[in-house]
Amino acid sequence: MSEARPVTFRGGGFVVVPKKGAALVAFVGLIALWEVSVRFGWISPIFLPSPTSVVEAFWELAVSGTLWLHIGQSLKRLLGGWTLGTVGGLALGFAIGVWSLSRAVGLPLVSALFPIPKIALLPLLILWLGIGETSKVATIALGVFFPTVIATFSAIDGVPRNLIRMGQSFNLPAADVLRKIVLPGALPGILAGFRITASIGLILLVSAEMIGAEHGIGAFILQAGNLMQTDQLLAGVVMLSVLGLLIGTGLNRLERRLLRWR
Amino acid sequence: MILSRFAGLAALVALLALDASGAHAQQMQKVTVGLLKLSSSGAVMIAREKGYFREQGLDADLKFFTAAQQVPVAVTSGDADFGVTGLTAGFYNLAGRGALKIIGAQSREEKGYQLNAYMVTNKAAEGGFANLKDFAGKRLAITTTGSTFHYSIGILAAKYGFDVKSVTLVPLQSLPNMAAAFKGAQVDATIAPVTVARQLEAEGAGKIIGWVGDETPWQLGALFTSPKLITEKRATVEKFVRAYAKGARDYHLAFNARDKGQEVRGPGYDEAIALLAKSLEQPVERVRVGLPYVDPEARLNVGDVYNQVAFWQSVALVDRTVDAKAILDLSFVKGHFNLPK
Repeated sequence: MSEARPVTFRGGGFVVVPKKGAALVAFVGLIALWEVSVRFGWISPIFLPSPTSVVEAFWELAVSGTLWLHIGQSLKRLLGGWTLGTVGGLALGFAIGVWSLSRAVGLPLVSALFPIPKIALLPLLILWLGIGETSKVATIALGVFFPTVIATFSAIDGVPRNLIRMGQSFNLPAADVLRKIVLPGALPGILAGFRITASIGLILLVSAEMIGAEHGIGAFILQAGNLMQTDQLLAGVVMLSVLGLLIGTGLNRLERRLLRWR
Repeated sequence: MILSRFAGLAALVALLALDASGAHAQQMQKVTVGLLKLSSSGAVMIAREKGYFREQGLDADLKFFTAAQQVPVAVTSGDADFGVTGLTAGFYNLAGRGALKIIGAQSREEKGYQLNAYMVTNKAAEGGFANLKDFAGKRLAITTTGSTFHYSIGILAAKYGFDVKSVTLVPLQSLPNMAAAFKGAQVDATIAPVTVARQLEAEGAGKIIGWVGDETPWQLGALFTSPKLITEKRATVEKFVRAYAKGARDYHLAFNARDKGQEVRGPGYDEAIALLAKSLEQPVERVRVGLPYVDPEARLNVGDVYNQVAFWQSVALVDRTVDAKAILDLSFVKGHFNLPK
């Protein structure tokens, strides 16, 4: 009877709409502002070298070939340390998440050992493992291990109990409950943990390469800092950022593949 | 009644005293000095404790840092007006960009002063590493690339004619890391400060085969400030140097005397060592060990500063454009020596 009144859609608030290029514009704008500030002398190049001088330092590294040497060495340490820490962390995290006894023993241990700063342990690590690759990989592995444990058992705790109980009441064997319910349910939490530990690995690269490393991004950053070569220091930091970005993108892909069931 | 009148008088006196000290403080000019808690900066500590800065109308505030590279950064950023610390490649890179000027001496490596030791591990010694000429092809633990230890091996190489590039330098970023690598025989040798060296030797980790001061005397550290302060407040810099040199003189009288290589306690030794112990927050016994040579008038070994810049440039750690002449201002202290022609 009454006329249909057109109603505008009002429920679109806070919906994430992809804005292509916005990030790029922001990045370029910031870098341009930075360059201009140094060029016009608003910021002394001693305190903050201009983006062009950072690019120059980067270019010199690339041309001389040492860039690849640094990245190669660091990737090797990162990959080794992260894999080791993650495998160990997953194992203990699962044990804590699934069995009460290992939780009773493991949880206090993790709480006690996690907060120890790895840099404070460097002299001990050197005594135990020497100054070769082992101690560098161990530094990263130790840093990755504890957050992985915590992420894993928290993710398992977060799996809906009613799903597990349902599986059990259908007489599903324990192994199947773990494989088909607990593992997929915990996966998002575990993958979120990977994001954090990958960044921790990158951060610890600098600590690991304090141990007598000749090459590596961390060693390069340390040396540039000691020599007050601020342009090279920032070039090293850019390397770490780019590496972090690449690893983040890789994890996105992995997440999309593994969590397709959602 | 009498009591209250007395109290009133006391309050009046206190007020007057307060006022006087307030006026006094107003005349005092505040200056900040960046330094490390090491006896090599003893001249500053003595000058402050004995009131030499106050004599010049300066209220010197000491800002302690934990690593040598932080001090020139603090002076560059304006957090400190003066800096007193060891000379490193990082220092020259900052100074070369016009941020710093060396105006006087701190301590120096000098014959007969046991400050930094060359040490070899037992394992390396068994392998026949017993002589300072044997460094070529060996692994040497140092704190950082561009540190004073790095320069020490550089001038030793020049003295004994081996190529410094043939020594594998292992930078471990800190003294504890360096000591750990040495104890574990992960390296063949190290150059360590006297306290660390003596401890390593006592623990049986290795032995001392010589002292840097005996082999290659050099200008270990300097007093520096910003070129801005020199142009804008030259009088302040002059006053500061005067007080600093007076502290250096006291240090010299108390600690520098030697007789046949043995330390002789000079006039004012007990007072000076107590002042140092207080400033360094260390027991007197520990301060006694390894007191470096400090020039009584803060005079620089100018030729060595030139040599340092040339060495860092030869190993490509300091920019080619850095000019030693431009980072020195020799007008504040008379009698600098070893001037290049």
